[in-house]
Amino acid sequence: MAQFPGRSPTSVAMRRIQAELNEWLLHPPEGCRLESFEPLLNWVILVQGPENSPAPGLPRLYDGELFRLAINFGDHYPLEPPEVLFVPPSPVHPHIYSNGHICLDILYDGRNGGWSPALTVNKIALSLRSMLASNTNKARPAGDMDYCQRTRGRSPKQTNWEFDDDKV
Amino acid sequence: MEDDSDYEDSYVASDVEDYPTSEDGDYGYDPQTEPEISMRRAAYTVLSEEELKLRQQEALQQVMQVLSISEGEAVRVLRHCKWDVNRVNEEWFADTEALRDKIGLVDEQPTGSGRRKESCGICFDEFWVSEMHAAPCNHSFCRGCWKGYVHTAISGGPAVLSLRCPLPDCSAAVPAALVTAVSDPKHREKYHLYSLRSFVEDNQRLEWCPAPGCENAVEALHEVSNEAMDVTCRCGSSFCFNCKEEAHRPVDCETVKKWIIKNSAESENLNWILANTKPCPKCKRPIEKNQGCMHMSCSQCKHEFCWLCLASWQEHGERTGGFYNCNKYESAKKRGDYDAESLKREHARVSLQRYMHYYQRWAENDRARSQALSSKAEANDKKLEVLSEFVATPTSQLKFILDAWAQVVECRRILKWTYAYGYYRFGDNIPDEDTAQKQQQGFFEFNQGQAEMFLEKLNGVVEKDLDNLVEEFKREPGLSEVAPDGSVFVDQASSPERQAVWSKFREQLIGLTEVTRMHFVKLVQELEKGLDQLLAFYSEQPEAEAEAEVEPAAVSTAEASGSATPAQQATAKAPKRSKRSRISSRAAADKASNSAAAFSLQEADSELEAEAGYWQCRRCTVINRDLNSQSCSMCAQNRRGPISAS
Repeated sequence: MAQFPGRSPTSVAMRRIQAELNEWLLHPPEGCRLESFEPLLNWVILVQGPENSPAPGLPRLYDGELFRLAINFGDHYPLEPPEVLFVPPSPVHPHIYSNGHICLDILYDGRNGGWSPALTVNKIALSLRSMLASNTNKARPAGDMDYCQRTRGRSPKQTNWEFDDDKV
Repeated sequence: MEDDSDYEDSYVASDVEDYPTSEDGDYGYDPQTEPEISMRRAAYTVLSEEELKLRQQEALQQVMQVLSISEGEAVRVLRHCKWDVNRVNEEWFADTEALRDKIGLVDEQPTGSGRRKESCGICFDEFWVSEMHAAPCNHSFCRGCWKGYVHTAISGGPAVLSLRCPLPDCSAAVPAALVTAVSDPKHREKYHLYSLRSFVEDNQRLEWCPAPGCENAVEALHEVSNEAMDVTCRCGSSFCFNCKEEAHRPVDCETVKKWIIKNSAESENLNWILANTKPCPKCKRPIEKNQGCMHMSCSQCKHEFCWLCLASWQEHGERTGGFYNCNKYESAKKRGDYDAESLKREHARVSLQRYMHYYQRWAENDRARSQALSSKAEANDKKLEVLSEFVATPTSQLKFILDAWAQVVECRRILKWTYAYGYYRFGDNIPDEDTAQKQQQGFFEFNQGQAEMFLEKLNGVVEKDLDNLVEEFKREPGLSEVAPDGSVFVDQASSPERQAVWSKFREQLIGLTEVTRMHFVKLVQELEKGLDQLLAFYSEQPEAEAEAEVEPAAVSTAEASGSATPAQQATAKAPKRSKRSRISSRAAADKASNSAAAFSLQEADSELEAEAGYWQCRRCTVINRDLNSQSCSMCAQNRRGPISAS
């Protein structure tokens, strides 16, 4: 990369994470608070359960609950997505397993992933909040126990996700 | 399909000219009325990587001109339509907007002034707009980030061909020109490779040659069907265009697939399952006992049972005479438990044995084919030259040896697949009353056996006999033998004795190659036609067949055709016809009576020869008219004895 001296993947990642951090501190997304960004590659975000119900007359499923979201950046960020998962206890949701793994296409790259390097942690946090806010069925995904057993100690990025259900 | 020069191995092509049945009509059916088996021919061309690139470029140019779009857009459209230009035209003109939307073609967005700075959406650094790149949607990112984005996508595989703008909700296609502009040579090459692969792999009429290291593709020149189609690449390997397995005519793709899966699964899995598991008594799923206790619970249906007696665990108590009663052999036997069980196991054993029978023959022929292939290469590389000196003949005139080897290779392949065919065509245990099945099996095995016998003979002659001959020549003084004073030059190679020996061998090998070829052509055609239909042709009245054994007319026809060449006579149709119906009914009768001993082949040979009015030498294939003579008039080979070397 002759025309970009010093542009190693790690330095790009660090500059970009620093830039995102500055942006976050100026304009944090609604309902989210950065609990820790030490070291810079591992963030923990506190996410408030949305206080609104998905539609008038429907129950507010997560009002008053508080969740911890772990963001672990890799050297190739943002070309590769960060590892994103809830620190158990995770929200009860049809797309969130009890070990904190989240089935959401924008969190993964590869075959059917929807990650884009133009996405930011800010946008990820907002997407997850709206995923909670629009839910009407407070239940775990089918096969939750099975999945957690199979993936014990593994990153959700190693799972071969199928994102077929975009209703919830 | 018309006669085209691309198709070389005419002897598996069942064209009418090659098939010596049309003149006399005595074979039992007229090939003219059966075009479906005699006309199944393949038309295809082999394309090199360069030719493929040219084809791809042609298709692109055509689409660019007709639709007035850029090359980058044409690539996307063609890829979407599986590189079918006609389909592109249809879809494009049916609903241009929908198609453009679907594949991410957007109208070029105006670019702003280059003399201002903008922040890159990926690294968040500031750059001059003129230094940034964008897809036609004009969402700019810096060159370094584009490079990273494109390289990541290229490393991710051929999906890079449908790469979209990095901006999350923008679906604009990234044009190939941008990809190649920002990537380094290594990634660029990979991208071009994916593009070419897409051209071949998405295109229904193109298939890669599956031979390792071969980069050619085969193009079908007609609509492709789902039927087996043997093609031969320029590299020499033959494969089936439809299923990409090696060429397997006359067996269909489905059988080949089943057989291959069976071979890979059977040897490891089934044997292991048989040896190490028992089926759950309730749901029948195989269960492996991986702990010491005899109290088993099926992980699937939760049924609890005893590993030893396979009875339900609940009944495994006082009621059945004490808890651990299943150690007692007598009581188990009395209840008849082992009868049903052992019967089942016996059945499994028999069907495994049957499979092994076919598998071994399949595998042995496969191995023999590889060996023949390397022998052919060896002959081409070394042996022919040596031989050429010994017999004072230019190597160009020794090509018949390579032809013989090629014949062996091809026949081994066909023969191999007939074993897979036989395995699936006839069940484990044909009931005695199913005479039609029995007859078909006998008929099939007879033809297979005939073809195999000739193949073995041919293989022996081109391999052992030829080697022996060369050894013999070596022992005699040859060209290089020069007298001590250097003046006498003995040219044994062109001596009349050696030339006589050599020309005899030559005739024999050429004749044998031809006869073997005929037998395999016939075998292929018969299997493709279907056994039941064929048997009906051979005997118009299947019930009365046993009685209609001797047909005087057949004998006289055979005699009438006596002036034909030996090769044609070797496969003379008249005796064969009655021979076939006889042997098949005979074999069927034999099996039906459950007699283990096969009827004497020699006795059968004599009968057939008497019927035909001649006997054919097993070594030189010459036709001997004297039915009482026991040695060949041409080469003195014993009529029944083992084939002797010259």
